[in-house]
Amino acid sequence: MTTFDQARPLRQSMSWLHTWSGLLLGWLLFAIFVTGTLSYFRNEITFWMQPELHSAQVVPTEQIAFVRALALLAREAPDAQQWSLTLPSPRNPTLGLSWQQASAAENSQTSPGATRERGVRGAAAADSAEANRAPSNDMARERPNRREARGENGARREGRWRERGAEGAQSPDSATGNRPAFDGAARERSTRNETRGRANGAQSPETATENRPASDGVARERPSRNETRGRANDAQSPETGQQTDAGQQRPGAGARGQGQGGGGHRGPRLMLDPASGGKLEGRPTAGGNFLYRFHFELYGMDRTWARWIVGIATVLMFVALVSGVIVHRRIFKDFFTFRTGKGKRSWLDAHNASSVLSLPFHIIITFSGLVLFGNMMMPTAFQAAYRGDTEASYFREMRARMAPSDMPEASGESAPLITGLATLIAQAQETWGGARVGSITITHPGDRNAVIELRQMNSPSIAKGGRIVPALRFNGATGEPLATPALPEQNAVQIVSNVLNQLHRGFFATPVPRWLLFLSGIGGSLMVASGMVMWTVARARKTAKSARAPWGHRLVEVLNIAAIAGLMAAIAIHFWANRLIPADLPTRADWEIRAFFIAWAVTLVHAALRRPKAAWVEQLACAGALTALLPLVNAVTGGLSLPASIERGLGLLAGFDLCALVFGIGMLYAAYKVHRHTPRTRIVSSPPEEKPGPGTETETDAPPSEAMEEAA
Amino acid sequence: MKTLDLLIANPSARHRIKVGLRTGLAAFGGYGLALLGAAAFAAGLPFDSRPDAVSLAIMIGFVLQLIAIIWVFAAATIGRATLGLAIPAALFGLWLLLLKAMQTS
Repeated sequence: MTTFDQARPLRQSMSWLHTWSGLLLGWLLFAIFVTGTLSYFRNEITFWMQPELHSAQVVPTEQIAFVRALALLAREAPDAQQWSLTLPSPRNPTLGLSWQQASAAENSQTSPGATRERGVRGAAAADSAEANRAPSNDMARERPNRREARGENGARREGRWRERGAEGAQSPDSATGNRPAFDGAARERSTRNETRGRANGAQSPETATENRPASDGVARERPSRNETRGRANDAQSPETGQQTDAGQQRPGAGARGQGQGGGGHRGPRLMLDPASGGKLEGRPTAGGNFLYRFHFELYGMDRTWARWIVGIATVLMFVALVSGVIVHRRIFKDFFTFRTGKGKRSWLDAHNASSVLSLPFHIIITFSGLVLFGNMMMPTAFQAAYRGDTEASYFREMRARMAPSDMPEASGESAPLITGLATLIAQAQETWGGARVGSITITHPGDRNAVIELRQMNSPSIAKGGRIVPALRFNGATGEPLATPALPEQNAVQIVSNVLNQLHRGFFATPVPRWLLFLSGIGGSLMVASGMVMWTVARARKTAKSARAPWGHRLVEVLNIAAIAGLMAAIAIHFWANRLIPADLPTRADWEIRAFFIAWAVTLVHAALRRPKAAWVEQLACAGALTALLPLVNAVTGGLSLPASIERGLGLLAGFDLCALVFGIGMLYAAYKVHRHTPRTRIVSSPPEEKPGPGTETETDAPPSEAMEEAA
Repeated sequence: MKTLDLLIANPSARHRIKVGLRTGLAAFGGYGLALLGAAAFAAGLPFDSRPDAVSLAIMIGFVLQLIAIIWVFAAATIGRATLGLAIPAALFGLWLLLLKAMQTS
């Protein structure tokens, strides 16, 4: 026991701090880590969850059915101000189409006072204001609207999820996933479109939270444009949305977005088979976005509260990490030490290895997570810098870093649009030294001044805001190249912000870094899990001596089981629900999420009722089996089977199925190890048993590590 | 904390109170210091663009919070822990007041 106010070594204090700051919200942290880690592949997850899209053919660029796609756009949205095409990418093989209707506020960018645009900005500001809790007139004005909008759905939960769907759809990220939900929602909401649309755009959490606070280029841009963007540009959503926004960050794009998006109406988003140009209809699902949202705003509760809870958990994580490093005297040496089968010692080694292996990742992911919540958690920074000034000026200044748009106005004379997009793509890729094109936007289609803009798929540098990508412009009638807007200059502060933001969100990540981020995330999850388990292992001796475990130990034990093994089972159930709930059930997307929470609650009850060892074994086995069977479920419920997806070159599907297989087998193995484990019985023989893993004995001989000693 | 020792005889209760006090100080004191520090840096950093000052100040704020929390648990006595938060807080406060005075004058 660490006694404060007595002479004690620093490491003893830090060990105490490490133990308790880690334990306090550790269960939540584990869930955040796991769902956040999966979010690195949320597009892939969303795609997996829409088996209707699995038939998309993978074809080389020159065989993409652009002509049919353009014909479809001309038919569906002849009057649109802007069309967007999201090209097939390794993260989503479909060809996405969306468009932006011309709006009354078309020219509002030149008249800053335009009410329409102000309204939009106001809404955006309101949202951020909500996140930030900073005062703002706009906020006062807009908020009621939004409340109303939200409340309107009666069943608020449902409303909320729809809203999410909608946001998702607006944010490129969800390119695939939320689309249908959005459509559905849009239909239902048609009457309240005005309010809602606005509110949603503004709200889109992406903006509000993640980007905004990010503080750098990304953040700066987004607040204001958000809504606009959502409608106009996000449409292009190349894969992750990242780039979508990328365009918008760029000078031209941004301003353009504002101008056009102001009051514009965003059409639906269509997904096509790139080879045939035929429409693909995916089932309504939140897809990977559910896990993604959960990792920073939980579910079913007020967003602001949820973000605060996650923020506080993140602060604790930060404290636990740094105090853990201080405690850890031989950080390098211990990394190469792994003693298996030694109970507590082994758990400590596992904890150390998983922590130290990706320590830079853990520190950055935690710190950047905090910075993403920065405006909410450190509101005084904004208030002090803008004393006596409004939030609106904050966002205005953020926007001011972007150059004004140089997108030409429509001429009013019509001219046929060229259809040889593949040629332009080839030209762009050559210009960029092979970098792929992620999306194409066509502004003023059918006009003599039509502009075709091609945007690069991946952010070129980790130091650039994730959404800033190079672009090339061509005249849409003649195919002649046009001047291309320069990428904005960035100062050191922006670069630091960008790097933090990029590393957290993986905008820059091509496959290899993305997998490294994913693996680091798994390392982080293991670190949290092993730390939590170690807390009980370290106390097992004491617990074992007494007839009954102290209630605190029992509580931690039960929560550990449900939070670790139970969460894994619940995620697996979520994917099963995705396939077992009929594709045409109107509320199916909600039920997928409900299935997740119901399953999770069941694991908690189960953990409370069973003895710990039995509970661990049963839940791990259950989670493992459910996960390992996912490839099979996929194949028999309309998805593309694993061998077929490998053969067809759909790496994203094969990746999902293979990961499910590997994780499932891993959990089954862990269950087997726990099952076979008998504690070394020099200790008392009684119930509390330990968990899965390399060495599970509650042993006595190995000298307990210094850190552990103190912790215990 | 001699007084506490005299007032409360039960060592386990005493321990809990001490831990509680430190935790409270770390949570509220650490956050308070971070808020003040973020404000001071946001207002005082010599950047042309205020958004840059805000983003850097936010980062500094979180680091300050971390250091403050660690300090509270590392300090020998709770009195020193408090002092260690109070002094920088006073400096930040003074700095903010100075800036305000300069702004208005």
